[in-house]
Amino acid sequence: MGQWAIVSGIEGNLAAYEAVLEDINQQPHTVSDLYILGDVIGLQGSNQALLQRLQSPHSGEPNLHICIGWWEEQCFSLHGLSGLPDAPELMAQFGGDGVQRLWGSVLREDVQWLRSLHFGFHELDCLLIHGSTVSYADELTPNTPPITLCDRLIRADANTLFCGRSGLAFECQVEPTQLRSTVITLDGSHEPQEQEKTPRRVVGVGSVGRSPGQATYALYNPNTNAVTFKTIDYDASSNLHQLSTHSTPVL
Amino acid sequence: MKLAVISCIHGNLEALDAVLSDIDRQQVEQIYCLGDLVGYGPYPNEVVEKIRSLDIPICQGCWDEDIVEGLNACECSYPSQLSEKRGRLAHEWTNQVIHPEVRDYLAQLPMTLKQQNLSFVHGSPNSQHEYLLPSMDGFAALERVLSAGADVLFCGHTHVPYVRELENAVLTVTVQQPGQADAQQQFTAPLKRIVNAGSVGEPRHGRPNATYVLYDADTTQVALREVPYDYQKTCAAIVDRGLPAIFAWRLAQGMEFAERADDPSHVCQR
Repeated sequence: MGQWAIVSGIEGNLAAYEAVLEDINQQPHTVSDLYILGDVIGLQGSNQALLQRLQSPHSGEPNLHICIGWWEEQCFSLHGLSGLPDAPELMAQFGGDGVQRLWGSVLREDVQWLRSLHFGFHELDCLLIHGSTVSYADELTPNTPPITLCDRLIRADANTLFCGRSGLAFECQVEPTQLRSTVITLDGSHEPQEQEKTPRRVVGVGSVGRSPGQATYALYNPNTNAVTFKTIDYDASSNLHQLSTHSTPVL
Repeated sequence: MKLAVISCIHGNLEALDAVLSDIDRQQVEQIYCLGDLVGYGPYPNEVVEKIRSLDIPICQGCWDEDIVEGLNACECSYPSQLSEKRGRLAHEWTNQVIHPEVRDYLAQLPMTLKQQNLSFVHGSPNSQHEYLLPSMDGFAALERVLSAGADVLFCGHTHVPYVRELENAVLTVTVQQPGQADAQQQFTAPLKRIVNAGSVGEPRHGRPNATYVLYDADTTQVALREVPYDYQKTCAAIVDRGLPAIFAWRLAQGMEFAERADDPSHVCQR
């Protein structure tokens, strides 16, 4: 079974995406699948060019799996397809200018294509999703309260939850060690139950396009369960990028 | 201070009167209601007017929301397809008989209520449609109480009363980030509780009696109360007023046969 490359937050940054693809291509261990956890569109480049690139993968590239994210949901809202009308979250964060730019940068037929994408993926014992099963906007970070991380993993029904909402690269090992639960009903008290769970983790996969000139993504080996973070410096000014890469294994 | 918490009255005026009489005998200082005043039962307007007349703080239930906004939730409004089919009939009947001022009242109800370390919700802090079952994962249940910022979380929605105590919680998180040293954080939590008030008007614990809970804020003691009443009067009224007879049968049995939740942890994505 080949490795998975897991990315998020391309945000229309085609140069960053191409840099990541080139880095993936140079990996010593085959990358069989590329998961993109939402935010393919955004305000960091040409959404049109990026979407055309995604819809026309090149021969030899990993199998592509794309799910929707925050930016896609804002687009759907603007087009009256889901959520609250007129994208209030987008307006609050990026103002009227951001709303106009997003509206003008995605063709209607591409909106329909984005609507066909998944909400997330359950693969092996992993959930790969933009935010969490609570919401696309659920931002999990190393500072998220432990009990919240634990809850999201329970909801995910997975040992590893890969997410991209925060744009951060991190791994949080969550170990619910103990909990005593006692239930009393009309029929009386039940025996207390001692609860514990096997360790599981939340992995933030970084962001490809959010920071011009530097892209971060994650590599996951399903055979060893190991996660490695990759950071790539690239020339944001042209498609002929100069590559400088370094990687950080998470043991 | 002694509280009474009632929930899920569902248009059952007879049951509500019986519960209020029982509460009168308990030296209660404050009553809270966790919503679902209407739906399934024959007297939705009368139930709402009685609750309003007593100035009982109330949070909005899933049925109250559905009557206000229409049935535009995803399928999780109902725990199964069979209950959805039956529920739609009840919704249509209630929608036709509800008075405009009652609908307006239900529309302005808050999602949650808070009093010091006590929180009151219909389903869960996340949604009126989420079931907090006593069998749900303990850590997930603990998260619900903590997310409400409470020591005791009162809820309804399941129509079966219970008290769940969650204590001695220990959770460890180890954080690894590129370019940074590993960091470990340990989480512990004191005793937290979920108290489900059951249902006044449409019980599902196997008996037709109304249920509610008493809570003593000074001693933190909880008492689950079961109140018999003349449920046959309500059953007769259900049929007389044109509601499906199945609801009368179900009330008399005190059960939700064939309507157990397929996925109680599901939260509406509408």
